[in-house]
Amino acid sequence: MSNNLGLTNEGGGIWQIGLNYDYNNLNTLFASSEKLDDNSRRRITHTALWNTNYGLTDRWAVELLLTWVHQTREISQFSNLNITETNGIGDAVILVAHTWPDLLGETSTLVFGLGSKVPLGRSDLSTDEGFQLTADLQPGSGAWDGIGYISLFGQGFRPTATWSGSILYRLTGKNDEYLDNTSTYEFGNVFQGLVGYTEEILAGNLIFNPGLVVKYRHSMEDKINDLDFPNTGGEWIFLRPELSFSISPVTQLKSQWEFPLYSKVGGTQLTPTSRLTFSLLFQIRSNKKINIDDEKDNSNVLRPGRVASL
Amino acid sequence: MFFALAGLLACSSSGTEVQGQTSVPDSSESPSPNVDRWIIPIAEVFDGGPGRDGIPALTDPIFVSAEDVQLIQDDDLILGFKNGSDIRAYQHLVLDWHEIVNDDVSGVNLAVTYCPLTGTGIGWSREIGGITTTFGVSGLLYQTNLIPFDRESNSNWSQILNEAVNGSLIGTDAELVLPLVEMEWGAWKAMYPETKILSFNTGFQRSYGVYPYLDYKTNNDAFLFPVPKDNRLPSKERVLAVVENENALAFRFEDFTGGTLYRESHQGRQFLIAGNSKFMLAFDISGPMSNLEFTYIHDGSALLLEDNEGNRWTVMGEAVSGPRVGAKLRAATAFMGYWFSIPAFYPTRIFNP
Repeated sequence: MSNNLGLTNEGGGIWQIGLNYDYNNLNTLFASSEKLDDNSRRRITHTALWNTNYGLTDRWAVELLLTWVHQTREISQFSNLNITETNGIGDAVILVAHTWPDLLGETSTLVFGLGSKVPLGRSDLSTDEGFQLTADLQPGSGAWDGIGYISLFGQGFRPTATWSGSILYRLTGKNDEYLDNTSTYEFGNVFQGLVGYTEEILAGNLIFNPGLVVKYRHSMEDKINDLDFPNTGGEWIFLRPELSFSISPVTQLKSQWEFPLYSKVGGTQLTPTSRLTFSLLFQIRSNKKINIDDEKDNSNVLRPGRVASL
Repeated sequence: MFFALAGLLACSSSGTEVQGQTSVPDSSESPSPNVDRWIIPIAEVFDGGPGRDGIPALTDPIFVSAEDVQLIQDDDLILGFKNGSDIRAYQHLVLDWHEIVNDDVSGVNLAVTYCPLTGTGIGWSREIGGITTTFGVSGLLYQTNLIPFDRESNSNWSQILNEAVNGSLIGTDAELVLPLVEMEWGAWKAMYPETKILSFNTGFQRSYGVYPYLDYKTNNDAFLFPVPKDNRLPSKERVLAVVENENALAFRFEDFTGGTLYRESHQGRQFLIAGNSKFMLAFDISGPMSNLEFTYIHDGSALLLEDNEGNRWTVMGEAVSGPRVGAKLRAATAFMGYWFSIPAFYPTRIFNP
């Protein structure tokens, strides 16, 4: 979900709408930082995300993210393939962001965001037989989380380059109705930091933005009934090549491929193997005229392709 | 934006689909369990997380000699079984990660089932209706206890109830293989130096030696799934449960300090329970054996009891000297487990010496 947050404020009165598809494949078994020779288990999460950002002013913006989640748990063992699937509306995120342009120099912008994850998704799904599934297979978490982030980006070594960095913290809430109201469950708090570098390449009339992001993620252990839940939590370093290009001044396509460089998990866990994200981003400007020449003015250029999402 | 939001919500739905037993290469050969009928309350059955076969049971296990095994410490727990001169130990260090070992102990087709969440180790015969099967881990839990399934019929079984609770064999009792005794490795090894022990070479790569559930086995408040609690004893105290007529009698280690034995009647039968700080063992001495007077003589060897006829009996209930040499004491239907798990399944009386 965090991979699709952090649309930049393009100015007061400007809507941005993103349609995203996220494919997350967990097929690697780790014990602490040791990769185990076992690929019999696989978790695949397909997520459709719809996010929008609206600039209330040139400084203030609101962002909303809605999700739909489809998860599969596959076990290939003893010549059998066992599949469990869940799907449904996932949790949502609403954020308020404030932008300070030129705060740390003429070409830099600082953004501070604060918001909440809203438990729209169900967290009590059962199998067809009626057995309630564990928290990690549910489309929703059943808990309100607090989310805060700081993002800083600016011009790189040359005008066509953009560097960016951000930190995000998710303070998780507790699901008090877990397993038929018998237990509480709380996913671990998450810290995430990333740095990215994006170039801009003009090919004919098309603008491409290849980029590279390094992401660090640290997740605390989940808790059940306020006690640590085994085999959860850990820290990872991911590398994320990105590529976006502008179809038009107000439409952009973006793709990301994320894979771990380093994993250290609590206990033994299935851990991320690879993740793909595709995004289509539109801008709707209620009070500004679009002109390709606006590219000279940073405020009128679709920036997300040049700034790593959270 | 409104229409986009409405559209997203309208197409949202939630539900689950379980495609169990989609066999490769030929799923038609695997009968599906009867998903409609369970003889335990479905509301108290939970998906444990790893999924069916997500915890891989062992088949064709490899054993090594006591001298060759590494990693295990003398105070680590094992489940011991003896068939003639074939003596085997199944260590918790492996069972914590696999829960079921399908074995053949010199002709005894044994499934050692072990649930790390209830601490219960119980031996079942793999011969069901004249067919030899193997058991797997279904990934389901009833009262936070293991639900094995047999691969021949795909029926689901309750470990502590020792009964098929779903599928074509529903209502069938598991044939217990007794005695399967739980004790510390050091004690077992001293009794049976010739024992073999389950190898860490299982065909799977796991962190053997690392307990996978944090402080679960010692923290009385730590539970991963809902289960009734009985405050008469600390939840995670290891007790010996003797089950007769679906009623349990629980014995505590603190009553066996220094080594001793008790006779106790339970559900109309006579039981002899002997033990010390490392093990507790139960024998059903109803019938011809009830007139014998037993004395606890355990000195670290396999010898456990002596009776007034001069017979000497081992921890496995075998008479190794005296007029009844070759005879066996009948092992009680008994198993070790965390206290909470016994009253969760059976009305339970705590033994009071």
